[in-house]
Amino acid sequence: MKLGRRKFLETGGAALVGLSLKSERRIEGSFVNDSFQMGHFLRDRVSFPPAKRIEKFPVVIVGGGIAGLSAAWRLRKRGFTDFVLLEMNSRPGGNARWGENEFTAYPWAAHYVPIPGPKATYVRELFEDLGVLKNGQWEERYLAFAPQERLFLYGRWQDGIEPAVGLTQKDREQFQRLENLFSGFRKGGSFTIPLELGRSSKDEALDRISFANWLRDQGFDSRLLLWYMNYACRDDYGALTADTSAWAGIHYFSSREPEEKGPLTWPEGNGWITRRLLERVGQNMRTNQMVHRVTPTPRGVSVFAGDTEFRAEFLIFAAPTFLSPYLFENFPHLRDFVYSPWLTANLTLERYPESRGAEPSWDTVVLDSPTLGYVDAMHQSLRTHLDRTVWTFYWALAEGSPAQTRQLLLDKDWSYWKEAILRDLERVHRDIRQCVSRMDIMRMGHAMVRPAVGSVFSEERRHIRTFHDRVLFANSDLSGISIFEEAQYHGVEAAQRVLARLGGKL
Amino acid sequence: MGILLFISVLLVAACGLIYELVAGTLASYLVGDSVFQFSTVIGTYLFAMGIGSALSRYIHRGLVHRFVWIELLLGVVGGFSSALLMLAFAFTQGFELILYALVMVMGILVGLEIPLLMRIVKDRYHFRDVIAHVLTFDYLGALGASLLFPILLVPRLGLVRSAMLFGLINAAVALWSTFLFASQLTRPRGLRAACFVVLCGLGAGIAEARYITSTAEDNIYADEIIFARDTHYQHLVLTRFKDDLRLFLNSHLQFSSRDEYRYHEALVHPGLAAVPAPRHVLILGGGDGLAVREILKYPQVESITLVDLDPEMTKLFSSHPMLTKLNDKSLLSARVQVINADAFPWVDSNPDRFDFIVVDFPDPTNYSLGKLYTVAFYRAVARHLSTQGFLVVQSTSPMFARDSFWCIAQTLKQAGLQTYPYHVYVPSFGEWGFVLAGMRDYAPPAQFPAGLRFISKDGLSALFQFPPDMSPLSMPANELNNQVLVRTYENDWKDISH
Repeated sequence: MKLGRRKFLETGGAALVGLSLKSERRIEGSFVNDSFQMGHFLRDRVSFPPAKRIEKFPVVIVGGGIAGLSAAWRLRKRGFTDFVLLEMNSRPGGNARWGENEFTAYPWAAHYVPIPGPKATYVRELFEDLGVLKNGQWEERYLAFAPQERLFLYGRWQDGIEPAVGLTQKDREQFQRLENLFSGFRKGGSFTIPLELGRSSKDEALDRISFANWLRDQGFDSRLLLWYMNYACRDDYGALTADTSAWAGIHYFSSREPEEKGPLTWPEGNGWITRRLLERVGQNMRTNQMVHRVTPTPRGVSVFAGDTEFRAEFLIFAAPTFLSPYLFENFPHLRDFVYSPWLTANLTLERYPESRGAEPSWDTVVLDSPTLGYVDAMHQSLRTHLDRTVWTFYWALAEGSPAQTRQLLLDKDWSYWKEAILRDLERVHRDIRQCVSRMDIMRMGHAMVRPAVGSVFSEERRHIRTFHDRVLFANSDLSGISIFEEAQYHGVEAAQRVLARLGGKL
Repeated sequence: MGILLFISVLLVAACGLIYELVAGTLASYLVGDSVFQFSTVIGTYLFAMGIGSALSRYIHRGLVHRFVWIELLLGVVGGFSSALLMLAFAFTQGFELILYALVMVMGILVGLEIPLLMRIVKDRYHFRDVIAHVLTFDYLGALGASLLFPILLVPRLGLVRSAMLFGLINAAVALWSTFLFASQLTRPRGLRAACFVVLCGLGAGIAEARYITSTAEDNIYADEIIFARDTHYQHLVLTRFKDDLRLFLNSHLQFSSRDEYRYHEALVHPGLAAVPAPRHVLILGGGDGLAVREILKYPQVESITLVDLDPEMTKLFSSHPMLTKLNDKSLLSARVQVINADAFPWVDSNPDRFDFIVVDFPDPTNYSLGKLYTVAFYRAVARHLSTQGFLVVQSTSPMFARDSFWCIAQTLKQAGLQTYPYHVYVPSFGEWGFVLAGMRDYAPPAQFPAGLRFISKDGLSALFQFPPDMSPLSMPANELNNQVLVRTYENDWKDISH
């Protein structure tokens, strides 16, 4: 190869003074687990083939997320095994799905469960079943290891996500005043998990304004406080405070005791719970079963999935409720079921990047980032020496209307999101591009139900349950908030109601 | 002819600088204190060059003839300087004397070169051109050498062969000069023969250099040693000052050979001697084999399983003569099985039971190490304990890190064990603490193995008594989800250092 003199001087000179471009690690990856296509078949009412087979079950469960799996868990625990659970995807779990590579498992969505309070009896029962709660003690290995959460702000790290650095007197006063307000709501006893056990119509007014407006009305204007409230709503609801019901915003902070232990977490996040549930109910499950129609029969309902008609006496519908109008005939149009679009990415790192001097934490958040930060899958490892890891990066696309951001999710390619994620991480890890070898990205148009203004006390939500005598709805979106405990509660409740009715007959 | 002439100036200058750098670098390597070594070597060298230049005026005739001889002499002295210095350091007491004598000789010879060359060519050019050209190439050669030396020569060739390579270049310049200035020579053939001899000698030297280095290095390590290695897991440094050998892991002192027997006797015997008929022993950490050495004093122990993360550590302590002398080749014993694994996952997955377990990890200076001091970890370890067995945990200093020490004791209690904390004085560490733990009452052993230097029946009870300045404190247990110990430990030592 012949180099011109000029070229030689340019490259040689640049190399000498260290200005030549650093060679970047090649990053593999793609979109994964896309379910747009199947959803759009339903939306566009594509015609499905007629049923070739008929199978009969006393109970059919639709949806293999936490709600459906919990219903199945309750049925089997009560000795009832004559049911089938139909899951649309090849891998069950819903928002508690997980992935694995050659050295670790990692979450695809929900990644922790807070220590359940005294009212969450089903969750406590499950955790006793799974060995998470033993003789009143939480298993140490399943509690998030220290250091747990860190926030990057003003060029440094702090412990915890609630801003504690650079607060003015006013900020401090507002944080304290807000905590006092939440504490009052907590004592009032109507902000509970499960939500249904405490919700009281005396608080209905709070559901009619946005959390942002409520905060403004209470005189809160501290920038850090409002950032933190926004972060909390984006993290749990995929929405900004302006798009969240004040009741739901308050619920986030007032439904749990401030707990020094916890939360409970696993390398694969809530995928660990999915796996344990699958060990118990997996034999009743069929994957890749997309239900495309449900019709009433004289003695129950018929559920059509693929080329099979499942004839059931009872249907536990644990899939997201927004699918119902496309599956059931004469299902009312839904207005109060709004869903937030999300994006999660799993990044394989060949080594831990430079982190401005800090030891790795479980959960990392950056002040003023549009994203939610990331969780380290190896954090719950018992090893003392770690090299490779997987980070799960969370991004609730909360800005703009859900329809707009859903379109954005569809329009932009993998490279676009990959670059956006790397740039976000570069704020705190300068050499991140040298560490990442793979990035798989999951796009979810309807990731979680959004507790929009008016949705918690919505009439529509209450009515849905009476849609059909033999259909029991069980998705967490019935509560208006998408959390593990609500999903599990509705699943178990539905199973118990079915058992009670079958019991009368058996 | 002009350019060829000036290239030889360049080469000669490069050789001169290389010898200087070799001397300075070797002195820094071997004696230490690089600032002092480089300063004095460079100063001496430049001063000697001045002497050489001054001496050049006494050379009147046969300039080319003498120049060729000077080049050959420099080739030999400079070429073998590195090997000579290494051997001098290894086998003699007078390294410094030989170093500076050699630097003087080389400096004088280098000082003679340029004045002689200038006079050789003075009739062919204007004076001002001679000065300009010769000095230009002189400095260029110096630049080239100073860049080549750290980037290419030392990493690729090493010091011994680098010096020889440049000796070869000196000799080549000598040979070349006999052709370049043939007209000014009366008997070039004899000179050329001498050049061949020197070239062959240096060539052979390069071929055999490895033998010279290993001969010298063995002796250097036997005398005084600085051994440092970045393994995959840690930074390992071994220092020796007189008869005191010290191991540092990530800059934390692990032992001093002068008093480690106190530490390791105290770590092993109070617990192990109290176990009736111990057959199987487990050591977590302790890759230095010193605790193993103590355990091997019990003939009834059939197997010792040592789990240490770092294979380089256990390899070093199985093979290095000074270290195997210290641990009595304990890691090579047929009763010992060395497993290189991360302790917590190993403890979780292994089903075996042991009569005595030694937990000897570095202090909990970070969250990773902190995992090995948690209730969850001790619970997992305790599952390996036979009913009559005990485990002992190195628990940092109850004096300097009193909170941390009692935190570790509390953590063991929380794991469902009965605890028996004790402490010893280890001069290089200060007051040091251990916690003995088990599922039964502890009774002082009836006897200890013969030949112990520190632990004795009479002195034992004193170890279990804590004076008021180290007495128990109420501390929370260390758990994976709070890691209070790491913070406590950090605060404890911060208090000391301020």
